Amino acid sequence: MRWWSEIRVRMRALLGRDTMEQELEDEVAFHLEREAEKLEAEGLEPREARRLARVRFGGVDRHKEAAREAWGVRTVMELGADIRFALRQLRSRPGFSAVAALTLALGIGGTVALGSAAHGVLVKPLPVPAEDELRVFWSAYNWRGVEFDHVKERTPVFQEVAAWSNEGYSMRRDPGSPSSLISATVGSAELFEVLGTEPLLGRTFQPGDDRPGAEPVVVLAHGLWTRAFGADRGVVGERILLDGTPTTVVGVMPEGFYFPDPAFEAFVPLELDPEDGGYQGNGWLVLTGRLRDGAGPDDVAAGVDAITRALGERFTYPEQWDKTRNAHLVPLREYLVGDSRAPLLLLVGASALLLLLASANVAALLLTRSGDRTREMAVRAALGAGRGRLARQLLTESVVLSLVGGGLGVLLAVGFFRLLVDGLPLAPALRDTLGLETGALLAGLGGAAVLGGLVSLAPVRDLLGGGPSGLGTRGGTAAGGPGSSRVQRALVFAEAAFAVVLVSGAALLVRSVDELRGIDPGLDPRGVLAVDVYLGPGETEAPEREAFFDEVLLEARALPGVESAGLINRVPVRDGGYQGPIGIQDRPELTDTNRPNVAFRTVSPGALEALDVAWVEGRSFDDGDRAGSLPVALVNETMARSLWPGKSALGRRIQATLAPGWFEVVGVVADVAVHDLVSPTPMAAYYPRAQTEASAAGGFLLVETEGDPTALAEPLRRLVGTTDARAAVGRVETMDQVLDAAMSDNLRLRFFLLLFAGVGLALGVVGIYGVVSYAVARRRAEFGLRMALGAEPSRLLAQVVRVGMLPVAGGVVAGVAGAALASRFLREVLFGVAPTDPAAYLTAALILLLTGLLAALVPAVRAARTDPVGALRAE
Amino acid sequence: MPKPDSDMIRGTLDMLILKVLSLEPMHGWGISERIQQVSDGALQVNQGSLYGSLHRLTRQGWIASEWGRTENNRRARYYRLTPAGERQLGVETTHWDRLSGAVERVLGLT
Repeated sequence: MRWWSEIRVRMRALLGRDTMEQELEDEVAFHLEREAEKLEAEGLEPREARRLARVRFGGVDRHKEAAREAWGVRTVMELGADIRFALRQLRSRPGFSAVAALTLALGIGGTVALGSAAHGVLVKPLPVPAEDELRVFWSAYNWRGVEFDHVKERTPVFQEVAAWSNEGYSMRRDPGSPSSLISATVGSAELFEVLGTEPLLGRTFQPGDDRPGAEPVVVLAHGLWTRAFGADRGVVGERILLDGTPTTVVGVMPEGFYFPDPAFEAFVPLELDPEDGGYQGNGWLVLTGRLRDGAGPDDVAAGVDAITRALGERFTYPEQWDKTRNAHLVPLREYLVGDSRAPLLLLVGASALLLLLASANVAALLLTRSGDRTREMAVRAALGAGRGRLARQLLTESVVLSLVGGGLGVLLAVGFFRLLVDGLPLAPALRDTLGLETGALLAGLGGAAVLGGLVSLAPVRDLLGGGPSGLGTRGGTAAGGPGSSRVQRALVFAEAAFAVVLVSGAALLVRSVDELRGIDPGLDPRGVLAVDVYLGPGETEAPEREAFFDEVLLEARALPGVESAGLINRVPVRDGGYQGPIGIQDRPELTDTNRPNVAFRTVSPGALEALDVAWVEGRSFDDGDRAGSLPVALVNETMARSLWPGKSALGRRIQATLAPGWFEVVGVVADVAVHDLVSPTPMAAYYPRAQTEASAAGGFLLVETEGDPTALAEPLRRLVGTTDARAAVGRVETMDQVLDAAMSDNLRLRFFLLLFAGVGLALGVVGIYGVVSYAVARRRAEFGLRMALGAEPSRLLAQVVRVGMLPVAGGVVAGVAGAALASRFLREVLFGVAPTDPAAYLTAALILLLTGLLAALVPAVRAARTDPVGALRAE
Repeated sequence: MPKPDSDMIRGTLDMLILKVLSLEPMHGWGISERIQQVSDGALQVNQGSLYGSLHRLTRQGWIASEWGRTENNRRARYYRLTPAGERQLGVETTHWDRLSGAVERVLGLT
């Protein structure tokens, strides 16, 4: 029974507070009336009777309070009062509260959102069962079909091994519907056994699907099935057109499954035909295997040795890509997202640093305020508030403040998560898999509460440690003991150190981007649009395709504003690949593996002109370079210099990676970046499209215009569609976009680090300003006295500035040291700048010292102008 | 904050309240009057501190209260003993008897 009445009383006290109060009021009033009546009956005057009744009762409020305490909810009620009081306090200083809450919100929101994204990319399981059993073979190399067939029979440590790659297809549901380009994963029959994911509908690959003569099949990813087929379950068994070839849809994968990333929306069996040149020729496959259950490190090492031996028995490799020497198994996740780890962790670290900075700042602000509030605290102490009670009040205020900040931060994280994720240095398709995790939001709020507790430590310590006189016997000027200013200096020190780390990181990225921008890609991107055009080979004959591309080119050149237009098989800077060893006629000693590895680029007349590639010598291609005329080629400077140093390359005869015959070099062009901006330009040769792959199904149309190239996108799309309804347009990008994309990781990191550094710097300024003004305010009387005694204002100024700048300078030194230690995390993302680049650190240190000086000067100047009389009188 | 009563005194007051209420339900003023009358004024109850005790005893479930009318038709809160309170009174009375017996024996030493 007892627990029941306990709960009932407490619940009533909490929920029916007003009723309880009223009843207590009535009860006491009744008592006083009754007592007064009795006294009157004993012959006292009514007034006197009422007075005496109150005297006999004792302190009415005191006893009411005792009764309230008996309800057992005093702590809770006081907490409510504390929270209301805290909110009132926050509202009464909107500037302070806004700065504190917003900075915390930025730190918490940023850390929560970035942490969530990093978790999604780096930790959350890939959508395949037991992903830790999956390994990618020798990830630095591509594999040939013949190597795959050889290796997969000889890997006892793997349950299954699959080969895969990625390709684009034009897809139509039926011959009457328009084409769209899709990206697909092509894989050997074992792919889904290795991945271990069951289909939602139908089947996946089965043995033989990847052998010549097999019926063409395709498995759809859930996204494509929903988007292009309206999630129609009857699609299994239907025949669609892939590159014009009737292909049976045999299965649909479940929602959430992707491989290797969500951009690839269909799965098509490889064609492994030993009779095909490509099977023996160039490597283009990735090998991935699933380890046997319980395979330990020793088993794996033995398995790798076995593969290496098997490769060595069958194949001979050139030294620079010897697969028997550089055996290396990489976990699948490492292979897929390994490149994202460094930038993501960098950003999470930076935002956590910003959060620390914000917390230090809030702590410093609270400390300053608790100094301002000495008089208030003293009054409350005099009115009977216990020290513990006051400490609890300070704690409540700071927890409420950081919870407000945390709540705002969570709102920021929710509201801007998409925007943030779109800005992250990640593969675009990967961004779509990321969501804000509830756990991260809760952790953010929890963290905010803990932070609130931590930042209140300094003011509370100040309050408790001050001794009885510490509670302000001397009004407003006796704020805080010596301990509080020590804590403040430590906080400024920390702020300066954190800010230097952020600013120097930003400085390094700024320099890295400058370096990247300084690279000459060998082309002029201005006004150039690259359009992916495709006409499926399954339903078109070679002459049709040739005519189609000729026509598109003619029409494109006729569009208003177009200066030049041409076709190319790979977009410079963006698309690598199409590279292999070729023979050089006058260097017969270069045989087999010693043949030079040359990028194979086919162009129509106009393509290199659209890119404004510089000519070194010789001529360009023209319409006279047709099938049947003399086969010709252009080589880049690197190739000319490496093969024929000091001599002209003109007139030499070379082979082509992916086309038969000999081609005569008729020109030398400047190096154009091939894979990306930063790797050294490989040897590259350009061949006329008409002489090598005139009937190819696809090509990139490069169009140069005087005006805005994006304005050409729609006319070009229409043009392709009207020329042949079966044709499809894929990716459309300006060359400027291509170049930006090539440095996008750096640009994106630079953006975030500049943002964080800017906010960090602003916080640092606020903190330094606060501390110096506080010190000045506290010593106003002293300054007034010294001025009255004839002290030089400039000396006072210097002294005050020193108070603020000493911890800043210390923090800068510590911060530079910390940044240098942390800089190895930047190594992977920087280009052309050492992570320990002294200029970046010097810049950061100077920026911080200068802003610190400015922040300290404002209150210092005010101190030096102290009116001695006024200051002393205020005492 | 109320002046701290010693436990002994507070416990005694609680016991007196329980005892008074075991006779009949009563409002606060009535309880203080009854205690003074019965003890011939020897026990001066601090009238105000009575209410702290009453509310605490209510929370402990030993007494309960409801609003009623006095003989003069005025609203007053009447407290009554609960069964748990009766048991508690028994316990406290026993304790008291033992204590006072012990004190008497000590004082009775010659």
